Amino acid sequence: MSTFDLELDARGLNCPLPILRAKKSIQTLSSGQVLRIIATDPGSVKDFEAFCKQTGNELLDTLQDGGEYSFNIRKG
Amino acid sequence: MSKRLKASERKAAILAVAKVLFSDKGYHGVSVDEISRRLGVSPAILYRHFSSKEALYEEVLNQIACKRESYVEAVVQSDGSFSEVLRMITRRYVESVSRDPDYLRMELQSALEGSDATRQFFENRWRPFTDYIEVTIRELQPLGAVQQTDGRIAALMFQGMLREALYAKCIFRTPRYQELELNELTDYLVTLFFRAIGYKEDTG
Repeated sequence: MSTFDLELDARGLNCPLPILRAKKSIQTLSSGQVLRIIATDPGSVKDFEAFCKQTGNELLDTLQDGGEYSFNIRKG
Repeated sequence: MSKRLKASERKAAILAVAKVLFSDKGYHGVSVDEISRRLGVSPAILYRHFSSKEALYEEVLNQIACKRESYVEAVVQSDGSFSEVLRMITRRYVESVSRDPDYLRMELQSALEGSDATRQFFENRWRPFTDYIEVTIRELQPLGAVQQTDGRIAALMFQGMLREALYAKCIFRTPRYQELELNELTDYLVTLFFRAIGYKEDTG
């Protein structure tokens, strides 16, 4: 499991809120730093893939544990 | 007699016929047999592409409805403020629905049928609006950026006015609103919504 610099708890939130929070959180990081997001919305898997494609940030990994999803995103 | 089609063409043909039938008769009013008959194929061919009628119904909706990627794009392009994000996702939704009002007909049919499965599909598609409004109002209230408002009821108000505008323009084609462009109308309604909840942009 990769390490991260900032964690965002987006559990219980639905689209577009996790993306909006991630966008704001990633703005506080420097290039190369990693944001970890924890979410419960199953649609967030596709959302964060689209988010990274559109923003030039790198989706390092997506993990699912029960009803929780975690995403590690490296700021581009 | 149907001619041989490529798998992707066959799938598109099934979706096109199913969309017309579902929007005309609702989910329960259409059987897999009827869709197959219209296509001139056996139900087995239809099941080769879709595991169930429910899966086919959901795929019809997914084809018409605003894609989640489109909301992600709206958020990425926005300044992140409540007013801009809500305005942008509303525009995306209105664009997609007005392109194919069969979506609205299916929603109306679903309401009349009272089917839990189809109702859930539509409820999920309103959640980007209702959840976003409710959560954001709750967060902005302590900052004084919106007046004392029940976020859940504000979300209901927003959903009601947006849905009614879409019905008036795309389904009923109400003469009273004929000279108004749909985008202009929905934009104005969004402005009225922010005024109603006393949203102050600067403190947001």
